[in-house]
Amino acid sequence: MTRLRSGLVMFVALGLVAASCADDDEGEDSDDGGGGGDFTALAYDESDQCGQDPYTGNLAQLEAVDELTVRFTLCNPDVALPAKVAFSSVGIHPAEHLEETGGSPIDNPIGTGPYRLEAWEQGSQIVLARNEEYWGDPAPTATVVFRWSEESAQRLIELQSGAVDGIDNVGPEDFATVAGDDSLQLIEREPLNVFYLGFNVDTAPLDDELVRQAVGYAIDKDRLIENFYPEGSQVADQFLPPGIPAYEDGADAYTYDQDRARELLAEAGHPDGIDLGPLSYRNEPRPYLPQPAQVASDIRDQLSQVGITVSLDEQESGAFIDNANAGDLGLHMLGWNADFPDPTNFWDFHFGEGGTLQFGTGFDDLHEVLTEAAGTVDEAERAALYAEANDVFMQRAPAIPIAYGGSAVAFKAEVDGAHASPLANEAFAAMSLEGQDQLVWMQNGEPSGLYCADETDGEALRVCEQINESLLAYEVGGTEVIPSLAADMPEANDEFTEWTFELRDGVTFHDGSALDANDVVQSYRAQWDAEDPLHVGRDGTFTYWGALFGGFLNPPPEAEA
Amino acid sequence: MTRLVGRRLLSSIPVLFGILLATFAIARLLPGDACEAALQERADPQTCEDFNRRNGFDQPILTQFGDYLGDVFTGDLGDSVRFRRPVMDLLVERLPVTLQLSAAALLLAVVVGVPLGVIAGYRQNSKTDVATIVGANVGVSIPVFVLGLVLQYLFAKELADTPFGLPPSGQLTAGTIPEPFYDAWGLEKNTVFDFVANFDLLNAVLIWRWDVFVDAAQHLVLPALALSTIPMAVITRMTRSSLLDVLGLDYVRTARAKGLRERVVVVRHALRNSLLPVVTVLGLSLGTLIGGAILTETIFNLTGVGKTLFDAIQGRDYFVVQGFTLMVAVVFVIINLLTDILYTFLDPKVRVS
Repeated sequence: MTRLRSGLVMFVALGLVAASCADDDEGEDSDDGGGGGDFTALAYDESDQCGQDPYTGNLAQLEAVDELTVRFTLCNPDVALPAKVAFSSVGIHPAEHLEETGGSPIDNPIGTGPYRLEAWEQGSQIVLARNEEYWGDPAPTATVVFRWSEESAQRLIELQSGAVDGIDNVGPEDFATVAGDDSLQLIEREPLNVFYLGFNVDTAPLDDELVRQAVGYAIDKDRLIENFYPEGSQVADQFLPPGIPAYEDGADAYTYDQDRARELLAEAGHPDGIDLGPLSYRNEPRPYLPQPAQVASDIRDQLSQVGITVSLDEQESGAFIDNANAGDLGLHMLGWNADFPDPTNFWDFHFGEGGTLQFGTGFDDLHEVLTEAAGTVDEAERAALYAEANDVFMQRAPAIPIAYGGSAVAFKAEVDGAHASPLANEAFAAMSLEGQDQLVWMQNGEPSGLYCADETDGEALRVCEQINESLLAYEVGGTEVIPSLAADMPEANDEFTEWTFELRDGVTFHDGSALDANDVVQSYRAQWDAEDPLHVGRDGTFTYWGALFGGFLNPPPEAEA
Repeated sequence: MTRLVGRRLLSSIPVLFGILLATFAIARLLPGDACEAALQERADPQTCEDFNRRNGFDQPILTQFGDYLGDVFTGDLGDSVRFRRPVMDLLVERLPVTLQLSAAALLLAVVVGVPLGVIAGYRQNSKTDVATIVGANVGVSIPVFVLGLVLQYLFAKELADTPFGLPPSGQLTAGTIPEPFYDAWGLEKNTVFDFVANFDLLNAVLIWRWDVFVDAAQHLVLPALALSTIPMAVITRMTRSSLLDVLGLDYVRTARAKGLRERVVVVRHALRNSLLPVVTVLGLSLGTLIGGAILTETIFNLTGVGKTLFDAIQGRDYFVVQGFTLMVAVVFVIINLLTDILYTFLDPKVRVS
C-alpha cells in the first residue's frame, strides 16, 4: 500500500499573530522571517502515527504556537526531553537557509551562536569569527581556529611550540609531561563512557547466568585501569558512568574475587574450568578503550587463572560492529560514549526492549524496569527504578562494566576560562588569551560536515556547538541543562507529554534574520520526516534523531530478506 | 619523439585500467563498509541499508564497476561518501599539497645529494667518502616517522625561541587565509586556476605576498627535510657510483692526458654523463614520494594525497580510494614519460636509437 503523508493538519496561529495567508491543504506555509510582520505558524500533527507501524518515534506534534513559542507533544512521557533538546544535533537553523541549501548546509551553516563560520579550508583549518550581534555575552576572543591531527604526539608538539593554544585528547603517556610543564595546564575530562565485556546470552555456555557472574568476579579491573588507561579513568561499578543522572553511589558491583569465580563455575557444573570460545574485539582505540589488543590479552590471561579459557578474536572494526548489531558475537568487548546526559542514552539502547542484539534477546525483567524508568517523571522514583535496574543487571549480568575511560585536554597556562567538557563540547566563547585575538584549538580530526543534524563524530559536533545553538544547552564544562535559545526551561504538562518553549526575543542568526518559532519547527521537521524535501543532510542517516526521538516519520521501507 | 610519446601513452591505458580494476576490487573486498566506518557503535542494519541504497552500494558489483568506468571516461570520479564533494575537487585541493612537498623534498635531495655524491666519488675511499656513505645509509635507515618527530621536537620546541626555530606543522600559520590568485587578479575560478592556487608558494608569489611566501617556506622546511632523506641518500650513492664509472672511461683519461685541470675534467666532462642514471632515479623518486608521503603528511599535518588516501581506506570512502589511486598512477605514468623524454635530450645515443 502506498504510504501517504497522513495526519498533516495545519494550525493557524491563534490570538497573538494574525495570519495573512490562506492555509494550503497540501503543504505547510512558509514563514516570512518574523520581525513583527506577517507570521504564519508552522505546525505538524502526526499524533495518529503514535504506536502505529512503521512509526517508532515519540514525537507526536510539533507546533509554532506563535512567533516565539514552540510546543512539542509526545506520544509517551519523556522526562529526558530537556537533556535531548540541548544536544548538538538539534541546533536551530534558519528555515530559509535550510531551503536554500536543499536541507544540506554541510559547509555553510548559519546559526545564532557566539561564533559564525568565517572560512573552512578543507583539509587545513576552520576559522570562526566572533558574532558581533550575539544575544548573550560576546566572546572575548575574536577568532577561533580549529586544526586537527590524529597523532597525540604531534598535537603536543604543536602546543609546546606555541603554534596552537589548546589540544584535545592528550596522549596517556603525555599526561605527566603536560602536568609538569608550567607553561601548560592539563585539564582532565570527566568520563562519560563505559567499557564492558558483553555476553550474547542466547548462546551456550554464555546463556548460564552463573558463568557470566563468574567472569565478572574473575576480572581485576584495577589492574586494567592501572596498566592500560590514562589518568582520570575509573573502575566501572555499574553501567552508567558518574555524571549521568541516576548514577547510583555505592551500587553493588562485581569485585575481583577469584575464589568466588571458581565457586560459581563449580556451581554451574564446571569445576575444572570452561571454554567460552572467542573473545571478540576490534583493534580500534576509543575513549573507553584506548588499548584494545592489550586489554583483550590481559583479560584472557586473567580469565585463565580461574579456569576460563577464551581465544582472542580480533575483527576489523566495521565487520565487528556489523556482527555485534546482528547478534553474531558471543563474548565481546565494546563500550559506549554518552550522546546526551540521561540514563536512557545508556540503558535503553543496550538493554531496553528493541535494543541492540549484541546481548541476545535480553531479559524481560530488565526490559520492564527500564521501560518504567524511562516513563517515570518523578526524579526520586526514577532514581529508585534505575537502582532496581542495577540490581537486575547485576544478577542477570548480560555485560560486565569494567572501566570509565578518562581523557584530558591541555591548554597554554595563560588561557583564561580553559575547561574540559564531559561531552567534549568545549565552549570557546568562554576562553580568552591576553594579548591575543585568536585562539587555536587542535583536535583529533576534521569534521566531515558542519550540519550536525546529520553528524555523529565529536569533531563536527564541537565546531557546530560554537555556531548553532539549541533550545537548551549544557552548562559550560558540565552536563546540567540550562536555557539557551529558550529564554527559560520549558514548561511541561502533568503527564510530561507536552513541552512548551518560549524563545528569547530579538535573537538573530548570523545572516541577520530573526529567530522565530518556525525556524525551530523546520529545523526539527527536516530531521523528523524522512520524506521531507529537506531531509537530506550529508549522508542522510540523521543517526542521532533515532537516539533522541525514537524514529522517523515515513521511514524508508525495510528491505525484504 | 611523437612516436615515443604516443606509444607510451597507449601502453599506459591497459596499465591504468588494471590499476582501476584492482583498486575497485580490493576496496570492495575490505570487510565493513562506509556506513559502519562512519557510525561505529551507532551503526545499525536498517540505517546502513538505507545508506548503501542511497549511495548505490547495494547494486551488483559488476553494475557498480560498469557505472564507475563509464563515469571515469567522462571525467567524473564520483563523489566522496564522507565529504559529499566531487573526488575531483578533493584532488584539485590535495594533490598540490603533495606535489609541493615532494618537489621541495626532491629539490633538497638533489641540491645536497648530487654535490655530496660528486665529492664522495671524486675522493673515493677518503674519510669524506666513508662519511658520506655512512650518512647515506643512516638516512635510508631512519624511519621518516621517527625523523619527523625528532625534527619537530628539536626545531619547534627546543630551538623555538632561537633564530633556528621552525614551526612543527607543514601548513600555513593558523588563521592565515591567502587570497587565491584568481580572485586577486579578478579572474573567474576554474579547476586549473584552483589547482594552481593550492600551491601555497606559487600562489603567494602570484599575489605578491612575500609574508605568506616566507610563512609557507618556513612551514615546508621540516617536512621536506624529513621526506628528502631517503631520496637524498639514494641520489648521493647513485651519483657517487655513476661518477666512479664515468671517471674510469677512456675519454676522461684522454681529457686528463690533455692536461686539463681535474675540476674541469670532473665537472665539465664527467659529471653530465654520470647524471644520466640519476635522472632516472629522480623520476622514480618523485613518483614514489607522491604516492608514499603518507607518514610525512601525517606527522606534519599536511592533508595531501597520501593522508587522504589513508583516511579514505579507513573510512571505506570507495570513490576517493579509486580516484586518488588512479590519479597517482596517472602522475606516475606522466613522470616516467617526462623522465624518458628528458633522457633522450641528455643522451644522444638514446636519441639516435
